[in-house]
Parts: sequence; structure tokens; C-alpha cells
Amino acid sequence: MASHGVPRPSTITTKDEQARLKEEKDIKDYRALVDLTSEREYSLEVLELTSKLLTKNPEYYTIWNVRRRLLTYGLFSKPSDSSLLSMELPSTSQTDTTTTSSADSSSSLSQATPPSQNSRMTGKTGTTLDAIKNDLAFLVPLLMGWPKCYWIWNYRLWLLQQAKERLDMEIARAIWTQELGLVGKMLTRDNRNFHGWGYRRKIVAELESPELGGSSMVETEFEYTTKMFSASLSNFSALHTRSKLIPKLLNERRSDDGARLRFLTNEFDLIAKALWTDAYNQSAWFYHEYLMTNLLEPVMQSTITPNMSSTERSAYVVLQIENVKEMLEGEEECKWIYNALLGNTMALWQLEERSPMSDELQDCKTWLVELRKLDPLRRGRWDDLEKEFRRF
Amino acid sequence: MSLVSGPGRAGETSGSLPEELQLAIEPHVRYIQSLDSRRDELEYWLTEHLRLNGLYWGLMALHLMGRPDALPREETINFVLSCQHENGGFGAAPGHDAHMLYTVSAVQILAMIDALDELERRGKGRALVGSYIAGLQNTRTGTFAGDEFGEEDTRFLYGALNALSLLHMMDAVNVNKAVDYIVSCANFDGGYGVSPGAESHSGQIFTCLAALSIAKRIDLVDVDKLGRWLSERQVECGGLNGRPEKAEDVCYSWWVASSLAMIGRLHWIDGEKLKEFILRCQDTKMGGFADRPGDMVDVFHTAFGLGGLSLLSFPDLEEVDPV
Amino acid sequence: MEPLSETHWDVVISGTGLQQSLLALALSRTDKKILHVDQNDYYGDAEAAFSLQEVDQWVEKINSATLRSFQNASLWKSETEAEKLSFSRAYTLTLSPQIIYTRSKLLSQLVSSKVYRQLEFQAVGNWWIYQRAGEDVTLAQGSLQRLPNGREDIFTDDNIDLRSKRGLVKFLKFVVDYENQAETWEPHAKDSLHSFLSSKFKLPPSLQTIISALTLSLDTPENTTVAYSLPRIARHLTSIGVFGPGFGAVVPKWGGGSELAQVACRSGAVGGAVYVLGTGVKDINLQEGSDEPGVTLTLTNDEVIRARSLVQATYLRDNPSTKSPVVVSKTISVISSPLSALFTTTVEGAPTPAVSVVVVPAETFHVDDILQLHPVYLMVHSSETGECPVGQSVIYASTSQTASSKKLLDLCVSSFIKAVTAENAQLLYNLHYEQKQSTFESYSAGVVHHLQDPSLDLAFDDALLGDVEEAWNVTAKNIGLEDSGTFLQFEERNPMNGDDEDEDEGF
Repeated sequence: MASHGVPRPSTITTKDEQARLKEEKDIKDYRALVDLTSEREYSLEVLELTSKLLTKNPEYYTIWNVRRRLLTYGLFSKPSDSSLLSMELPSTSQTDTTTTSSADSSSSLSQATPPSQNSRMTGKTGTTLDAIKNDLAFLVPLLMGWPKCYWIWNYRLWLLQQAKERLDMEIARAIWTQELGLVGKMLTRDNRNFHGWGYRRKIVAELESPELGGSSMVETEFEYTTKMFSASLSNFSALHTRSKLIPKLLNERRSDDGARLRFLTNEFDLIAKALWTDAYNQSAWFYHEYLMTNLLEPVMQSTITPNMSSTERSAYVVLQIENVKEMLEGEEECKWIYNALLGNTMALWQLEERSPMSDELQDCKTWLVELRKLDPLRRGRWDDLEKEFRRF
Repeated sequence: MSLVSGPGRAGETSGSLPEELQLAIEPHVRYIQSLDSRRDELEYWLTEHLRLNGLYWGLMALHLMGRPDALPREETINFVLSCQHENGGFGAAPGHDAHMLYTVSAVQILAMIDALDELERRGKGRALVGSYIAGLQNTRTGTFAGDEFGEEDTRFLYGALNALSLLHMMDAVNVNKAVDYIVSCANFDGGYGVSPGAESHSGQIFTCLAALSIAKRIDLVDVDKLGRWLSERQVECGGLNGRPEKAEDVCYSWWVASSLAMIGRLHWIDGEKLKEFILRCQDTKMGGFADRPGDMVDVFHTAFGLGGLSLLSFPDLEEVDPV
Repeated sequence: MEPLSETHWDVVISGTGLQQSLLALALSRTDKKILHVDQNDYYGDAEAAFSLQEVDQWVEKINSATLRSFQNASLWKSETEAEKLSFSRAYTLTLSPQIIYTRSKLLSQLVSSKVYRQLEFQAVGNWWIYQRAGEDVTLAQGSLQRLPNGREDIFTDDNIDLRSKRGLVKFLKFVVDYENQAETWEPHAKDSLHSFLSSKFKLPPSLQTIISALTLSLDTPENTTVAYSLPRIARHLTSIGVFGPGFGAVVPKWGGGSELAQVACRSGAVGGAVYVLGTGVKDINLQEGSDEPGVTLTLTNDEVIRARSLVQATYLRDNPSTKSPVVVSKTISVISSPLSALFTTTVEGAPTPAVSVVVVPAETFHVDDILQLHPVYLMVHSSETGECPVGQSVIYASTSQTASSKKLLDLCVSSFIKAVTAENAQLLYNLHYEQKQSTFESYSAGVVHHLQDPSLDLAFDDALLGDVEEAWNVTAKNIGLEDSGTFLQFEERNPMNGDDEDEDEGF
């Protein structure tokens, strides 16, 4: 990918002769490796070459595809899989006409392997399970080194799918289960890794699926978000995941209205504790907004307390606004508090389908003045709000 | 076209001199022109898998700067067509597998230099490109895969609609289903993720909004909510980040600002401060933009830095379509 | 071996304490003739580490007043539990259980000088505060409260009410950026930290105590100033997570500072320096005015040698200082329990710490009806440090010396044991001693350079490195060493082993 966060060197270096020669050699080696790999015979040697090349450059997506084909047509060839050998996979590389080196040998991919190679691959290290396990192990250091590389994550998921399709359920499940540990480790290293959270979601969905003999993991995943949030209050990824789990959680618990209300109150308490700890925590404010949405937009979003009456909602919103007001004392410089007060108060008018009372409007105007002062970057937004106030 | 980072470096973080806040058009043009001549650098070869994207970004930058002819047209067409496969799709470079990302880039490049006809004349035909793309739609969910191995991402959905609209082949896919899919990616904060359930991310928001724009369904967006979330991406230094509590980066000048523009809320951020931030990310001597001041420049950030400036109606730049 | 007198030495270093050893390391890549002697028959000087048998001999030495840095040593061994104490070599009791903050320059210099590979670092993880139960200050009953490491700990800690959470987090945010917020604290630089926390951050006394525990100050709270505390608290907080989650400091396995000194000396020896233990410098004769400045030294074995320069400790100087030295009272206790509860981690992905720090705040106890005025620090080492057998642990306790400090330390150790373990943990072994630090600073006299006493600080003090660097510069000048390179920056000795792939895997 592009050079994100590559700091510039402290001095402008002109490469000396030695460095230039080294780079020249590195290029030669690298290109030789590329040429070798693109010969695309499916032997263990080529597999090793792809490993070498991908270790240097995991973004080289075509090589991941080469590897997929190597496994599909070669290494996944234990007797019980033989039917799969005839499976047609559309392979763009086979039809490639614009290049010279790859086209000639690639056609052999879909044909039978030469006997000598075949026997080697179906030897005791050649089983599908071993091939998958070895490949999963090969990927771990690459993931650690390039945790944001789409292609590695994708390839790993593909590999796991292969495990599901080709192996006994018990064995496949064990392999998928191990992934939870890996992704947990990745998320401990970088608790916002987008790929990591997405990967986790996919692993959990598979582990829950009947194909892998699974059942719901919503309770443990919910606990996981609590843990991740407690370990880093700015972990919006954890809070986002939490927001997605809640409806499912409450349904599975078969929570009645009382239990749902208690649940909502607990969530508010948790987030209030976080906001009292640090009122500048943007992530916690977004989650607060999510909880408020449950009350303020009953038709669209009421996933926590769907049966609450509008009077109950109003009362609850008013209570929350009071709680936020309390946070102001001693934190008069915190724009997020005014932001929440303003947003929630205006939403209350909508909820109650009424015009603002004069003291409410006065409050809102005061908060807006503070916001203008504290948050001039978004003055266009404040201008629009002010226009809205003029309607009343 | 290379994606090699450097050799230039963006300006210092502090002490921004007034002359640094000028847009250094000539150096940027020269920078892009020079990119393909860096075959003596290892990184040139390590980034071959991005060549076609790099070409698109370079051309986009040149077009924004009003210098579309700075790269030779004929060579560009030849290179693009040399990346095409029998099935109609394009790879990143000759010998690289076909993939949605590069197919979209190829179509965008050809459209940009008004050469889509060359697909009929010298390539494998417009229809085949369109059917390659259409073939990657998941008929069950409406979203798109990147290639035969099935990875799905709203980036591909946007790319597909974008390319198909340029090819005038929107009929080849189920647009309504694609729109439904985008709606299912929406989150409580108004934003969109890479798939249903995924966290909102500025890049993905751009792709979803742009896809909805192409499908003429921007009415499905909760604009005030999303506008609030997007406007909070601007941080003190004027730059924009991709998610809450992450670092700013020039590429989000494009993803966030164009998203705001698509929902009519671009005025919710401080355009002047964003301009200043983007300008501080350029190397005024060697050309090019970096992700943030002090880092190495590359063509990706050059294109999106310029895109951001153009959205903010920076003088000397061509106006850009947010989509 | 040829007699030492045959060689005209470029540098003689006297003493193998940490500073001298780091100097030997810094000089190890020169082709100069270096002689490194120590009057003790062990490495490490005031940073030494001992087996039980070596402790016996050391105690004898202290009490016969041959070691100037130490005094009043006394040793106690449990008679009833005697069989639980293992054999002598099963223990490596260190005189310097100093912790090293991850941001310390020492660590980066151990890397740049390539010796870090010979060391095994272990995490200093959990920090605790001992809280007395009730008002009875004589009764040894209390509990341990985990010290918060940052915002998330404060969030989780239900002992802290909402408003105090906010005050604490505000202070933490301030202190990690205190250098840029001089207007907040400089007017109060000389105030006590406690009053500053109270007036500026509205923190109640219990939280003041928690914050000041992070300073590791040996002084009374009244004398622990804002100017002294802020950099130390900032150091603590910004060090957490640098090498991995959940910890901010490390100790070298197998005896802390002693291990560092020995690794540094080993590098000196690889570089060609000659090592002689059990031999000190008895007499120094400066050859001033001669063509070739230098020094003639009489060693304790009566050998007379010539050298172009000498580096030794200030405490070897004859005339005593007018200012009285700082004295710290210390105990080393072996406990018949692994004290496992102390070492469990609460942070995801954090290594299991080998060292845990327990702070007993001032005014926790009365001893002989006198209120405890100084805080007491217990560095608790698990057997993972290699300092004691599995199933046991070692407690290193320190406090400022007073008339009752020995009794206080014993009370703190026994109270702590009671608080941390439900099982019947026994004290097996207890060594008490006092360590002095003279107030002399480093100085040069001709070609003789004097290093100041090792710091009594409980965390490694980077100022010591500055001292060593100064000694290195002075010595280089004295022996006419041109192009001495950058301090402690070396290439790999053997380029074949120059594979740095596992550099980040240290923990």
C-alpha cells in the first residue's frame, strides 16, 4: 500500500555506491524470484518460492492466487479428496495472453500432476490437514509483520474455508476455534485493527454455524467487548461491536421489559462511569449517543427497550440529560458535554412532538455559544443549528 | 507508473513558511512524470501489484492540475490494455491476476483520457469488461467480490457501480439489491462499514455514499447523523482521520471531505484549516504529498491531497466530482 | 600470567560496581591496555549479588568496617523452619534490586552496545499500596490495594468515586505533559506534592498517597516536592506499555545490577581488558610535572604498577565529607511462599511479572510509639528472577534510616506477608543492613577521575549514565584516545551473528 506513516529519514542521504549495488542485487534477486514463481508448476518447490516471495512482499496478490491454486490442485490431494481434483475453478491466469512467461506452464495446473511429484505430495506430509496447518502457521508471522494487509487476512479466511469444506467437522472446528486465540492476540497488539475485528466477526459467525456444529457465542463475545473496553476506554471498535451484539443478546436471554430496562440502565451506568473518568473520550460519547438513540428513535432503533411507552422514554431522556448536566461542573471546557446536552435536548422536542420551552431554548443557545468558543473547527455546523433555533 | 514512496518528503510539522502554503504544481507534475523511471529502486518492483492504481492516481492528479497531457496518452492506453485478461478483467500489471480493483482503475483511466473506445478497437470489448464485473456480483446479497476467490467489501461494490456507469452498463447488475446491501451496512452513528456489522470507517462511507449517488439513492442516508460523525473526523491540526481517535491522514481529506460534499455538509468542517494541513503535506521542491507532514510522499496521497484541495475549490485546480 | 607491573597501563579502573563496569564496557572496543581491579573477591561492589554463604562473609566484612558504603549488618535465620531454607547457591540475593524504567537511557545503551543479548529482562508489573485496617496503628493488619496504572485502571477501580476518578485522570493527563504546563506547577515547585494535589486537583488524602507512591521517594511526604515528583511520576506513567502491555519497568534476571555489572565486565574482558579480583588500589602517586603525565599505583598485594589514568570511586577518598551522607535502611527477606496472588496480571497480553512493588505509605505504623514518617518500599521478587528456589520469594525492603527503621522494616514485612497470603507463609531468612551514599559528586584530579557513589534510588537513575559518560570522556582525553566514537555505540562484534530478527521478542 502507499506509505502510511513512514517517517522521513533524519538526513537526506544520497546512496553510496555500496548501498546502490546492494539495492541492485536485491532487485535482481527479487525479480528472479518473481520469474521463478510465475512458472507455476505445482511442486513443493514452487510453494516454497511463493513463501519466500510473499515473505518479502505479502501485497503481491497474484502470488497468493498462485498459492491457492497450488494447494487446490496439488497438495489437497489425499485420496478422499480426489473428487475435488476435477472441480473447475475459474482461473484468470490460465487465460492470460498478455504475458509471456506464465501462460505456457500454467495450463498444466488443471491437468494431472507428474507421478513423481504426486507421490511426494500424498506422502505423510501431503495430507490436506497438514497442508492447511502448515500454511496457517506460515501466515502467522506475516500477519504479525503486516497486520493491515488485506491479502493475508483474505488468504487465511480462504484457507479456513478449505478446512471446512475438506475436513471432518470436528477437525475443522478445532482449526477455526484456534483462530479466536490468534485474533485475540492480534487485537491485544492493536486493539483497533479493523481487519482484526472483521476477522473476529467472521470467525465467530462460522463457529456459531450449524456446519461447524456451533451455537451462539453472543454472551462470551459481549463479555469480550466489556474486557476490551475496560482495557482501553477509547476503543470504539469494542463499543461498536457491543452495539451490534446487544439486540441478539437480549433476544437470546429472552429478557422481559423489566430486564431490558435494567440492562439499559446498566449500560448507561457503565458509560457514565467512563465519561466521569474522562469526559474527553469521544468513543464513549458515541456509545452514549447509541444508547440515547434507543430512546429517541423508537421506530428505527429501539432494539433494547422496544415496549417502552413514549412517556417513559421522555422521563428517561430527561433523567439522562440531568446526568450529563451534572458532568459540566469542573469540566466547563469540554465540548462533548455541551454537544450531548444540545443534541439530546433537541431530540426531546421531537420525541414529545412539541416546541421548545423558553428556558430549554435559552439553555441550548448558551450551550451553542460555548460550542462555538470551544470547537471553532465545526462552526458551519453551529451556524446551521443557530438557523434552526431561529425557527422557534 | 510506480507507487514507490519518496524520494521527496513532506514539509516540517512546525514553522510552516508562507511559501510552503502555495501549491507547488510544477514539482508535482514532474514528480508524477518521474515515477516510472525509478526501476533502479527495489520498492519500484515491490509495488508492481499496484501499478494500474498508481497510474490512475497519477492521472487523476494531473487532470486535477489541468495537465492531462503530462503523461503520453498512447503509452497509457497500451499499458492499460496490456493488463487485460481474456475474461475481460484487468490485473495490476502484465502477468498479474485480474481483480475488481484494477478493472475499475482501468475503466477509470480509459474514461479519463476519453479512450473507452479503445476497448472495442484494441481490447477485448466493453461488453466483456462489463460482464466480468457483473459476474462478481453476489446474486443473493447484492454485494460484489473482488475476484474469483470471493472476498467481499463495499469497496468492490462502489468500484463495480462506478465502472459500470462509465461503461453505460448499469443494467448488467441488480442495482436495487446492491442498494439494499449498502443500507444493511449502516450503523447507529450514520456511517457505513465494510460489510453488515462492521464499524463505520471513512473510506467505506465514501464508497457507500458514492455507490448510492451513482444509484441515485442518496435519500437513504441519515445525513445529519452522518454529517456529525464525519465532521468530528477533523482534528486540531486541520487534518481528517478515518475513525474516532485515530491519527489524521491526507487520504481522508478526500474520503471524508467528498463524503461530506455528497451529503451537502462540507461546510461542517473548517476548509481553510484542512487546506493548510494538506499543503503542509506536500514536498514543494521534489513534488508529491505524504500522509502527514514529515513523512515520505507517494502518488496515492498526491492524488487524494489534490482531490481534497480541489473539493475545497482551491484556485488553479480543476473542479472535481465528489463521486 | 606476567606480572602486572610489566605493563604500562593506559587505564586502571578500580572497583567493579555498575558505573565502573559500564565504563569498562564503553572502553572495550579500544586497543588500549586496560586493567580492571576490585579489592573484593566478587564482582559488582555495592551492586553485588550473593549466595547465602557469601552473605555470611559479607556481613563479617561490613561489621569489621572494611566496606565504607555499608554498616550495621545483622543476619537472622529461622530456627523452626531451618529445613525450608535451601542450599547456599540456590539463592542470589542482590544488593541492588533497583528497577529500570523502560524509557531509561540505560536500556537503549545496552542495546546500542550490543550487550543486551546476554541479559534476560523481566517485567516489574503490579504495584500495590498497603492499607492499614482500622485505626490501630500498632496492629499489623491490613490489605493490599492495586495502584492504578492509568485511565483504564482508574475507571475499573470501584474504590474510587466518580469525582475522584475525574480528578485523578486530570492529574495523570497533566503529569505526562508537565513539561509543557509549567504555569500550572512551577509556582508550586517547592511545595509538597500532597498539598499540590489537594489544592490543584482536589484529590483527597487517600489519592494523594496513591500518587506519591509512584515517586518512590524515600523522603517524608512533607519533603517530597512537586519539582522532584512530577518527572518521576511522568516517567512511571509513560514507561508503561513501551515494551509490552501491563508493565513499565524491568529488572535483569539473576541479580539485577550485579548481572549488568558482570555482563559489562565480560565485554571489557572480551575487548582485552585484564581483570583482577581481590586486589585494590592501596596507594596513589601522581606523576605530575613529568613529560608523561601518569600515576604510579601500589596495589593491595604490594605490586607497584604504572598507568596513564585511573578511575575510582569517591568513597575511596581519604578526607571525609563535611555533609553527612544519606543513609538507607534495608532488609532482604526470604519467604516460604511464592506469594502468587501478588504476581497475577490483570492486563490482557501482559507478561507475568517477576517483580512487584509494594508501598507502605508514611504514617501507616507506629514503632515504639513513634509515628512512621517515611514511606517503606518492598520490592517483592518471585523465584522467576532466579534469586530463590521455586516456592519461595524474596522481599527487598527499604526506608530512610532512623532509630527505629530496622524495627519498622520488620513490621512492614511481616504485616505485608499477613496481608498477601492466607496460607502459612514463614519468614526464613532476614538480612538487615544500612547503605550510605556520600554527597560527593564526581570530580577529576589530574589523571585520576572519581566517580560518585552509586545512587540509593529505588529506580535506576539516568544521571549515573551521564557520570559514566563524563568519566569516559575524561579518560579518553587522558590517554590521548582520538576518535573514541559515540558513547556505548558499537557495531556487532561478529557480523556473522548480526541477525537482529528477534530483537523485539525480548519479553
